[in-house]
Amino acid sequence: MKPLLIALVLLSNVVVHGSSAQPAATKVIEITAERFEFFPAEITIDQGEDVELRITSEDTVHGFRIVGGGVSVAVPKRGRGAAVAKFSATTPGRYRFECHRMCGAGHNFMRGTIIVRAQSTGAAAK
Amino acid sequence: MRFERSECCRVAAILVCAFLVTGIAPAAAQDTNADAGYPTTGPLSGYMDFHFNKPDKQDGVLDFHRFVLLMSHSFSPRLRFVGELELEHAFVEGLEESGELELEQAYVDFLLSSGLNVRAGMVLVPIGIINERHEPPVYNGVERPFVDTVIIPSTWFEAGAGLHGTFAGNRLRYRAYVLAPLNALEFSADEGIRGGRQKGAEADVRNVAFAGRLEFRGVRGLTLGASAWSGESSFAAPRLDTGVRIGEVDARYRHDRLELRAQFANVTIGDTLRLNDAIGRLTGISPNIARGLRGFYTEAGYRIWNAGVSRDLVGFVRYENFDTQHRMAAGLLPLKQFDRDAVVVGATYYPDPDIAVKADYVWVRNQSGIVPTRRTLNIGLGWWF
Repeated sequence: MKPLLIALVLLSNVVVHGSSAQPAATKVIEITAERFEFFPAEITIDQGEDVELRITSEDTVHGFRIVGGGVSVAVPKRGRGAAVAKFSATTPGRYRFECHRMCGAGHNFMRGTIIVRAQSTGAAAK
Repeated sequence: MRFERSECCRVAAILVCAFLVTGIAPAAAQDTNADAGYPTTGPLSGYMDFHFNKPDKQDGVLDFHRFVLLMSHSFSPRLRFVGELELEHAFVEGLEESGELELEQAYVDFLLSSGLNVRAGMVLVPIGIINERHEPPVYNGVERPFVDTVIIPSTWFEAGAGLHGTFAGNRLRYRAYVLAPLNALEFSADEGIRGGRQKGAEADVRNVAFAGRLEFRGVRGLTLGASAWSGESSFAAPRLDTGVRIGEVDARYRHDRLELRAQFANVTIGDTLRLNDAIGRLTGISPNIARGLRGFYTEAGYRIWNAGVSRDLVGFVRYENFDTQHRMAAGLLPLKQFDRDAVVVGATYYPDPDIAVKADYVWVRNQSGIVPTRRTLNIGLGWWF
């Protein structure tokens, strides 16, 4: 009897969680890369948000890397589509992103910032 | 390499055919699998610039203008080296007329934060549109704008150190450097301050120069820039007081198929009466250096063919006005052949976003009434890898 009760409790827990947890909508952010800048170069998202970054180039091949964020993709040349990277904003803070493929004399200037707002701050802002 | 006039047409025809073949081949190749694994690049990057110039009533010239290699190394995510080595005109024989081997960049970046980073070594002077953005596919025209050649002496690089970074939500970007100054004894009437660049070669730093640039990038497609350079430039003749000041503003805007550019630059040189006198005593010829130089240009480009990779053609027209004798010291008369304006009309075809096949026609007029208008046909092939 006791194992049956435990199984029922666990099952009800799964059902409750399954019914209440809506799949979070992924926010899509379009980024343009060109010598020697990203636009936008500053992106603000809320903690807990999942974002899909679609990066297109206006000229040559660029890189897109979020330092410490586990994202590193090559951005194809102009007219050859977009690079898609997913980023989960689990920890609040500032994340630097940068081009990591040499693209010309100003390559090291090509950087930007993702700001992940803490959940309470984000709710207050809304 | 010089050509007789009769050979010029043949060479031009061959070049045009070669460029067309270069362009048509990728257009025909629609098999996307052929692109798999491309582009590839080794540990080096770089760009090349190959030109055919045919001035009116003169022999045409084939010139491998620039062969540039860039190398980089990251010691860590925050410590990076970038180097740029350039061979100009393909051949070096000790004098600039034969070619130049130049170390245009060799610096270490200490990347501290988005707002504050330190750069030291051989750096590009942060001024104007072209000096820091000079890869051939980036600009229209076989040759760089005249204003970016005789008013702003690009490529202008110098030994020094400074700060760079962004602020205001990355909408504003700045550079502020301390650099070796110009050598005023090398200034000239026709090319202004260009000859005074020390190029980091045992550069005299009796005085230092300050250079700064601020860019606004808060609107998609728009970049606004303002630059300034200031330095005492008479170290080779210490009794003079030849302060040089440069102010520059520029704008670039791109929307859909349209791209617009504009730039204005003004140079003032102090104590030019005594500077001309000193050079006259040294060389026997008064160089007629002006106390004020001024130049501006506007350019409109339109992507005529915008059908994807290898179907990519930009037409453009540029008007330039540049005067290296704009203001003279009392008692000196300006040489009006150096008060010039130019119209450049041409096209850039991209068989690949990193390859630019260029052709343009240039009219350069002057105010002298004696020196005739100069017309030049230019064809170029430039690429980045």
